[in-house]
Amino acid sequence: MSESELGRKWDRCLADAVVKIGTGFGLGIVFSLTFFKRRMWPLAFGSGMGLGMAYSNCQHDFQAPYLLHGKYVKEQEQ
Amino acid sequence: MVARVWSLMRFLIKGSVAGGAVYLVYDQELLGPSDKSQAALQKAGEVVPPAVYQFSQYVCQQTGLQIPQLPAPPKIYFPVRDSWNAGIMTVMSALSVAPSKAREYSKEGWEYVKARTK
Repeated sequence: MSESELGRKWDRCLADAVVKIGTGFGLGIVFSLTFFKRRMWPLAFGSGMGLGMAYSNCQHDFQAPYLLHGKYVKEQEQ
Repeated sequence: MVARVWSLMRFLIKGSVAGGAVYLVYDQELLGPSDKSQAALQKAGEVVPPAVYQFSQYVCQQTGLQIPQLPAPPKIYFPVRDSWNAGIMTVMSALSVAPSKAREYSKEGWEYVKARTK
């Protein structure tokens, strides 16, 4: 992996983390205000979920050149 | 009867607000692949500052207040990547020569102590 590609992957990871944590936090605020009586745990849950999703995406992104993905190909009936 | 209708209305309003938020997240694919999130962040970065500026101009026009112009922030150029890479390379090269250097220094120290005790 070249350094510019590595830099692009890091940029994508950080942007993705910001968006996902922010989205999780925002959804946590909405659910906390609407259904959960202004408790703190939906915010923590949403932010944690966003962080986990961003980490998983980053991990797949960095391991992408080395992971082999299989594909099922349907037999075409003639 | 009225209380039940009111609590049902409240539940429907809250449900629609929460459902709308979830649909917005799904529609904008904010929790999807990383390139979509990056595109959404870039779009937000392009759209939000002009919108904030226009809103502030509208507020100034309506209220007659004048927002003072702040000076531009100083541009600081610090290549973090270069200094970080140089730091990593220095640390790794130091770690790689550490065993041989430790052997050399301990040998020198032993020779020195042997010479002093003779």
